[in-house]
Amino acid sequence: MIDVFSYVPAIVLLPFFSFLIALGVGKYLPKGGAFGGIAATAGSFLLSLWVLATVAGGEAANRTLYTWADAGGIGPTDVELSFGILIDPLSALMLVIVTLVALLVHVFSLGYMNDEGETGLPRYYAGLGLFTASMLGFVVADNLLMAFMFFELVGLCSYLLIGFHFREPGPPSAAKKAFLVTRFGDYFFLIGVVAVLATFGTAQFAGEGSFPALADAALNGSGSVAWTPGGVELQTWLTVVGLLVLGGVVGKSAQFPLHTWLPDAMEGPTPVSALIHAATMVAAGVYLVARMYGFYALSPTALAVIAFIGGFTALFAATMGLVKDELKQVLAYSTISQYGYMMLALGAGGYVAAVFHLTTHAFFKALLFLGAGAVIIAMHHNEDMWDMGGLRSKMPVTYYTFLAGSLALAGIFPFAGFWSKDEILYEALVHGLNDPLLLGGYLMGLLAVPVTAFYTFRMVFLTFHGEPRSETARDPEPVRWNVKGPLTVLGSLAVVTGFINMVPVQKVLGLEGIDLLHRWLDNEWGGIEGLSSHHYADIGPYSSGYLVGGEAGTVLVGAVVSLGLALGGLAVAWRLYNVPSPTEHTAKLGGIKDVLYNNYYLDELQVWLAYRTENVAGGANTFDQGIIDGVVNGVSSVSLFGGGRIRRIQSGVVSQYATLLTLGLIALLLALGVSGGWFL
Amino acid sequence: MIIEALIGFTFVAALLVLLAPDEWAGRLAFALSLLPFAGSLSLWSGFDGAGNALTGGDIAYATQIEWLEVGGRTVSWFVGVDGISLPLVVLTTFLVPLAIVSAWTPIDSRQSQFYGLMLFMEANLLGVFTALDFFLWFVFWEAVLVPMYFLIGVWGGPRRKYAAIKFFVYTNAASLLMFIGFMSLTFALGGSVESFALPEITQAIADGGLGRFAGLAPETLALAAFLAMFLGFAVKVPIVPFHTWLPDAHVEAPTPVSVLLAGVLLKMGTYALLRFNFTMLPEQASALAVPIAAIAVISVIYGAMLALAQKDLKRIVAYSSVSSMGYVILGLIVFTEYGVGGATFQMVAHGLISGLMFMAVGVIYNATHTRMVGDMSGMADRMPVAVGILVAGAFGYMGLPLMAGFAGEFFIFVGSFSAPALPYAPIFTALAMFGIVIVAGYLLSAMQSTLFGPFELETDYDVGPAPFHDVAPLAVLLVAIIVLGVAPDIFFEMIRDAAVPVVEGVTVDG
Repeated sequence: MIDVFSYVPAIVLLPFFSFLIALGVGKYLPKGGAFGGIAATAGSFLLSLWVLATVAGGEAANRTLYTWADAGGIGPTDVELSFGILIDPLSALMLVIVTLVALLVHVFSLGYMNDEGETGLPRYYAGLGLFTASMLGFVVADNLLMAFMFFELVGLCSYLLIGFHFREPGPPSAAKKAFLVTRFGDYFFLIGVVAVLATFGTAQFAGEGSFPALADAALNGSGSVAWTPGGVELQTWLTVVGLLVLGGVVGKSAQFPLHTWLPDAMEGPTPVSALIHAATMVAAGVYLVARMYGFYALSPTALAVIAFIGGFTALFAATMGLVKDELKQVLAYSTISQYGYMMLALGAGGYVAAVFHLTTHAFFKALLFLGAGAVIIAMHHNEDMWDMGGLRSKMPVTYYTFLAGSLALAGIFPFAGFWSKDEILYEALVHGLNDPLLLGGYLMGLLAVPVTAFYTFRMVFLTFHGEPRSETARDPEPVRWNVKGPLTVLGSLAVVTGFINMVPVQKVLGLEGIDLLHRWLDNEWGGIEGLSSHHYADIGPYSSGYLVGGEAGTVLVGAVVSLGLALGGLAVAWRLYNVPSPTEHTAKLGGIKDVLYNNYYLDELQVWLAYRTENVAGGANTFDQGIIDGVVNGVSSVSLFGGGRIRRIQSGVVSQYATLLTLGLIALLLALGVSGGWFL
Repeated sequence: MIIEALIGFTFVAALLVLLAPDEWAGRLAFALSLLPFAGSLSLWSGFDGAGNALTGGDIAYATQIEWLEVGGRTVSWFVGVDGISLPLVVLTTFLVPLAIVSAWTPIDSRQSQFYGLMLFMEANLLGVFTALDFFLWFVFWEAVLVPMYFLIGVWGGPRRKYAAIKFFVYTNAASLLMFIGFMSLTFALGGSVESFALPEITQAIADGGLGRFAGLAPETLALAAFLAMFLGFAVKVPIVPFHTWLPDAHVEAPTPVSVLLAGVLLKMGTYALLRFNFTMLPEQASALAVPIAAIAVISVIYGAMLALAQKDLKRIVAYSSVSSMGYVILGLIVFTEYGVGGATFQMVAHGLISGLMFMAVGVIYNATHTRMVGDMSGMADRMPVAVGILVAGAFGYMGLPLMAGFAGEFFIFVGSFSAPALPYAPIFTALAMFGIVIVAGYLLSAMQSTLFGPFELETDYDVGPAPFHDVAPLAVLLVAIIVLGVAPDIFFEMIRDAAVPVVEGVTVDG
């Protein structure tokens, strides 16, 4: 029998080869190397489907493939650093998502980049290929160090692709900001990786000797860890380690306060925004928490922090999306907000809910970005929604798919986003009824629902409804199959993906078996021991509370409330913006409007911090040149001066020499005597 | 006899090039320098030693011939390599041909002398990394300074005289201090050693052979000797606050000289620290762990902050070397196999990466005749390949995984975080790690303003793609950096085997 898991490295390497080909000989290839990228991602996608089918057949893999370095089995820091693959229901699902979105983005790029006459295409396709490879390497990683390494490579690719238009001033600056802000988060992540290695002697995610298993064993007394810093309780230390790793998650998944890079990253080409800043790279952070959920579940404090950051970010980012004028900016803030929901779910013990939302969001957000890309093509790269309007009749395929994505984003029944967001809020509610902090997270998440529906449909109405408000909107450029094709695929997925996990229907109507994703992640078809949602619930700190009517009643109340709020937000947007000639209503917000426009002045704060750092550096430089180098030069002047003085001693008078010799001898004897202890 | 052949041939090559006409001295020097590289590769592929040369492990390719007698002790021609010195030998012979090619464009006067001195320096560097007799080693150590002095002083920038003299006097004064420190050790050993062979001295100290000398108790004497040698080598590394000669030397030195200065000469300091201070006197090192770790962290952060304040691309890279060397010191002082091994690996990695960075900045300078950040922008538009490699190299400097720099730094961090020999090890490590954020800050800022944006440069020259022989060495270095990053065991395995006995020199309670 063929061992499909031995082909897993090929899933990673195929896009890597397309990177090499595009970089090396892309300029001699048709379409600047696009076809190589399409072939490679298609190959990876098919292999991923095969892997998914195999996992569904009850197989899983946790293998070490390559030893990167080891200490040779001696000494206090004897750890082996290696690469391997971990294929279980979670990573198999993620592989399919990433390769599918990457494939569609490659195809879409034919329309967005090639047809628009962009230059530097080999560099573009090389970047996409390297990005896809890095992300896939991250997904299959079997240990935290390998995950970190590919996490960083993903950051590099993001830098290269955001700064793709390097001849303009904006993109290089945005690229720098993206790398630097995420690097700040990765600093903590790196400490976390080193701390995990030091504490457990391993960074493996799964298996008997994995660090979540060792931590669990150490906490309930059936095992011990290799090292903890002196004087720190084990439970406290595990929380600290979890929060350190979380630093990287907050950076990459654009959570407060490290979210500021993501809106700027919209300087990159739109397909890149779809691939990296919506569907996959930003997903890396959330995926990492899910990957090592068995570790986080052991620390109630870490979970509470995750939930609170998530809930806060969901609401906070949504409010900023209310007032943006540019299509991609609205989507950028919605991305931050939606990842906030996933973090809320993870913090609330809703492992399945988070992965569910990760899945649906990957599809509907990629769809929305690609739809925005189609609009941008049509509008000759004008992104201002106030110049659009009336595009509905001119580009029906884009409109209807974009609408499907928007309904999913707003959480309207029965589109994909409704199911996943509803489950997140449900988990936060039932667990939050026994935990006030979590309940706060739930309330913020709930409050973000109408805000989300409002900004989403403000965007839809301004872009597609009403009268055209500019010349280009009256006569938009048509888009081709390579744009419509990916939109149609993703549009269908945005409608149906929610049906893989209809938990509320199951709970209310008592229908069995329609919670496919729950059973999938619970290893019902097979998986790896210790990596199942049941295991996480067992070791996690939460218990459920219910409102009136028990479980079914709570489900129903929760769903009705969140759907009602979403519809309410939608209705307000309808009232205000679904008119032939909409006007700005932001003035009604008064002073709040400026705060929202300026993103709560957080960018200013970070710029201010950067300047202060530069000031400190300047001060250090002055100190270095003036004091430290000054002393060096001073010593040399003194010795030159001293040399001049010493020359005078050589007078030629023998008696003076004799005096000096005697004095010197006495001094030497005294020195020796003092140090030798003669006088004691 | 391969090592003698290697060193001897390089001296002869230096002479040949010195006598060759200027027109093809560069080509000849390159061709001749390939042979030592091939030789060092054969050393590497035939290497099967284990252990540390100083502590009684295997000494590969060893030769020991008595030479003369000084004060009742024999001085011998004693050379050989172990897992610590061999990677540095390979690094040296690998960098020199590349540095020679990178000189073809900028060096346009007295070429035969220039290339002759480069090869002369290479021969002495090989001597430093292979000599196992103190006197022999010291001769090579001092002899490196001479070609360096002339290379900066003759072919350097406007303030070359100042920089060359500062370099020479500062490091020479430091050598004197180190010499005194070491000699007092050998005298204190008295009759228990009969030669200046480093392995014999190391083992005699380990066996408790140190006696009273000059009225000092053995412990006091060992501590004083440790401090003298540490200060002596600290200048060479350089460790803050003894670093100020370095940026001046780099800014004035021509590109290929900077490549060797940062790539190999700085490693003489860390190599000597490892051999002398940390291998011969591990107990003294361990007793001073906290202050040494503190100056290592200060070197990392302070050096990076200084780099952040610079406007000259070469100064930026020069100060970042100070920062990177701080990691090496941290790795050495923690006495774990990942720490000491990682520090040695980082010497090689930093040699390659800083070499690449200096070369790339030189390629841009060749075209623009300026290195100031504010003077140019959008260079990526005109020199896409060179800039592409520079960007890749910069990410290597920032510690991008699967490149050599990450491997070195990560090994050091893993080795130091839970190191029993260093109190407060997690805090020191976490502080030092913040360097990876600052390095990203200054390199990304410098790249943004010089390489990207619209092309702007006030110049009478036609700025176009760099010639092939400028770009080729960059590409070769980049490939080497990636290969070492993906497969660090090319060197790390042998380094680790030689580092383990050093680590075992320190016993930590609990």
